[in-house]
Amino acid sequence: MSILPPNQRLLVIVPAFNEEASLARVIAELRAALPGVRVVVINDGSHDATPQVAHDAGAQVINLPYNLGIGAAMQTGFILADEEGFDFAVQVDGDGQHDAREIGRLLQPLIAGTADVVVGSRYLEGPGYVSSTMRRTGIRILAACITVLTGQRCTDATSGFRAANRRAIKLCAMYYPPDYPEPESLVVFRKLGIRAREVPVSMRARTGGKSSITAARSGYYMLKVLLAIGVMMLRRAPRLREV
Amino acid sequence: MLGDRLTAFIFSMALALLLLVLELVRRRLLAERYSLLWLAMALAVLLLAASRPLVDRLAALVGISYPPSALFVAGFGAVLVLMLYLSAVITKLSRQNRIAAQRIGLLDSRLRELEHPRTQQP
Repeated sequence: MSILPPNQRLLVIVPAFNEEASLARVIAELRAALPGVRVVVINDGSHDATPQVAHDAGAQVINLPYNLGIGAAMQTGFILADEEGFDFAVQVDGDGQHDAREIGRLLQPLIAGTADVVVGSRYLEGPGYVSSTMRRTGIRILAACITVLTGQRCTDATSGFRAANRRAIKLCAMYYPPDYPEPESLVVFRKLGIRAREVPVSMRARTGGKSSITAARSGYYMLKVLLAIGVMMLRRAPRLREV
Repeated sequence: MLGDRLTAFIFSMALALLLLVLELVRRRLLAERYSLLWLAMALAVLLLAASRPLVDRLAALVGISYPPSALFVAGFGAVLVLMLYLSAVITKLSRQNRIAAQRIGLLDSRLRELEHPRTQQP
């Protein structure tokens, strides 16, 4: 990709759980937007044709033997990025919400050295896909909590459209919150001095499949994330030796 | 006061538990480290059942007017501690399990890439 400095390598990590409907298009868009960049799909124990679809679309596939949850799936990608010495890693969800052409915007602050993690926020500026009122309210509440806790402006706490530099990759390979990692990881980053910032992106409605967070689970999600964040603040720093 | 029959009943239950735990350990169906808590529980109940003054003093100590209730309270507390301990064990197991599963996925992928190398591999 042209915006990458010479000799710098980017790994695109796509966590996928039962995403056969949308994955082929996601990977095709990634390969079109970033020719020559390695795309790895972490198949988190899908019951459908996700691994075949990903392989046929030209991605490397990592099959987890059973469903571990998105956090553990992402961490697998970060471990790969760390062990193979990638300079940057980008997370793109397998459901087609994220626009591959905007990855450049995520990478810019990393390349410029002004941030270690960049989060694509759908709420920083206007247009694009707008989710349901319930979900938006939930995200707002989480974002407000995280803004207060970290002292950094956060508008889209649950965004899974993110980029990380080498330093953040190393940290995420060692420790990454297991279940619903997005909001929690922002607090971890802050505690460990990883500089996170948001850039505006537009998101689309998913092109196929189902969100893992159904209406019934949203309440549980909110509670669990708030508990995790609360407990996180009580720790000195995450125990990094657990891996 | 505990009746003689109730005392005998509780005593024999605790004895049975003690023997069961020892037998499970002997057959390697229960690891020694997890048996220790169970053995401690069984012994404590045995002790309480064998010694009525102990139950009475225990009840008086925490302000329970009906001494046999003290036994139940003690048993309930022990069960709570045991369950909490088991939850912690499960947490540790699932963490180790996650790490193993991640490694399996990474190794499996690397093996397939080695067996069927693709042309484009930056």
